[in-house]
Amino acid sequence: MLFLRRTFPLIIAFVLGSFGAAQYYIPAPWSQATFRDLVYISRIVWTFALFLGMYSLFSLHIGRMRRKQAGWGYSGLVFAAFGITFAAMAWNSGGLLLSPLRPTELDQWFTVRWMYTYVFAPCDATMFSLLAFFIASAAYRTFRARTPEATILLVAAVVLMLGRVPALAMLYDIFVPEFLRTDWLTSLVTDDVRQLTEWLMNVPNLAAKRGLLLGVSLGAIATSLRIIFGIERSYLGGGGD
Amino acid sequence: MIDRILNIDRRYIFAVIFVVVVWALMADRPIQVPISSPVQDVFDFMERVAQIDDHPPTILISFDYGPGSDAEVQPMALALLRHAFSKGVRVAGMCIWETAPGLAKAAFETVAPEFDKKYGDDYVFLGYKSGGIAVVLNMGQDFSLAFPADAYGNRTDTLATTARISRLADFDYVITLAAGNTIDQLWVAYGQDRYKINLGGGVTAVMAPDMFPFLQTGQLNGLIPGLAGAAEYEKLIEHPGEATAGMLAQSWTHIAIVLSIVFGNVAYFISRRRDREV
Repeated sequence: MLFLRRTFPLIIAFVLGSFGAAQYYIPAPWSQATFRDLVYISRIVWTFALFLGMYSLFSLHIGRMRRKQAGWGYSGLVFAAFGITFAAMAWNSGGLLLSPLRPTELDQWFTVRWMYTYVFAPCDATMFSLLAFFIASAAYRTFRARTPEATILLVAAVVLMLGRVPALAMLYDIFVPEFLRTDWLTSLVTDDVRQLTEWLMNVPNLAAKRGLLLGVSLGAIATSLRIIFGIERSYLGGGGD
Repeated sequence: MIDRILNIDRRYIFAVIFVVVVWALMADRPIQVPISSPVQDVFDFMERVAQIDDHPPTILISFDYGPGSDAEVQPMALALLRHAFSKGVRVAGMCIWETAPGLAKAAFETVAPEFDKKYGDDYVFLGYKSGGIAVVLNMGQDFSLAFPADAYGNRTDTLATTARISRLADFDYVITLAAGNTIDQLWVAYGQDRYKINLGGGVTAVMAPDMFPFLQTGQLNGLIPGLAGAAEYEKLIEHPGEATAGMLAQSWTHIAIVLSIVFGNVAYFISRRRDREV
């Protein structure tokens, strides 16, 4: 049993992990064909993972309903939404078993597309649009020049907010009278702030992002090697034996 | 008084933002949108693709976003489709995100009739495919293995738009419109780097800073960042749309936020001076 529970998965991880890395450097047809088949198999496995996700979601919400946890009624909504969407999908795509029943007037509105357009899309967009309000509130409360570092962050944020949109040029058009519009001021508002914005994105931002990216990538390589060579075993589950 | 300003009820801030956005959306004032180089690069590359004459130019647009990013990313999709169709470039659309097909279909259904484009001959919608990285790898190896049929069940090798495509690199340009990590973790790492495709991107504004390392290395040959980027692209194709209309609201909202930050800092320094004196 120990062989099946621990040794065999470690052998699979070692063989497939080593091959996955090695095939990148082996352009031979057999290597590429094997890799293609493995990738295809992984897509099938991925699809079955959806059932695992469904099981996990349902068991979580059934547990909440059984325990009558606070807000357990919302868990009922999860099942209702799933059931209705699933039924609509089966109805709309069910060419074989359901075809004798169709088309009917029900087809006019009982569609996944109708639900997507008039229920899911507005709800999702509403949730996301609330972000603007929270960002405004957070910016007011947190962007304070308490330390030199915070001041740099604050100035960079203000420059980016004004430089990424034509806000300054718009204010300039509205509020600056004609006789005050010198070449220097016009250039400052239309070009210089924009160039400063691009510099912030292309130099300090890029340097920080690249450093993070390299660090994360090296970490991913190290973790992959630990999994391939059986040092990292937490993915086997179980805790300890 | 100062303490009350510093700890102002956030509902007042929400109200200010709401009024500014609604007022700006209702105002009908033209706004000048300057063009940034990453957006110009996408436009220029599309122009070059349109000039290919040894085969019908074909691009792939991957719709990797959901309705939450509709306001920011959908105008990019519409502008790119308008540009492609106006230049006679064929377009294949696909989705890595399961919430994207409705938006992708809507984009094709909006733009295709404007240019009298025919499904199959001028554009194809491949639909959603689960698998993430594996889908991109499969497309790189054998396109028909990843997409044997389109979203409506037609075989892709029988449709004029995709009949010539045997692998991902056969597309003259791949543009991914993303609201998540599909550009850096899928398309750059497994599409561009491995199969040497010409890759461009369109992302939400909050994601744009993450893309600059890939722009500098050339792994991304252009980028449309956020609503501002979409408005820039609309200006380049001379077809102002929703993004251009939204720029006024976004500009005024940014001004309101900057003013609130300045106001908050003035109050903070006054309170700090008062505390020191006490």
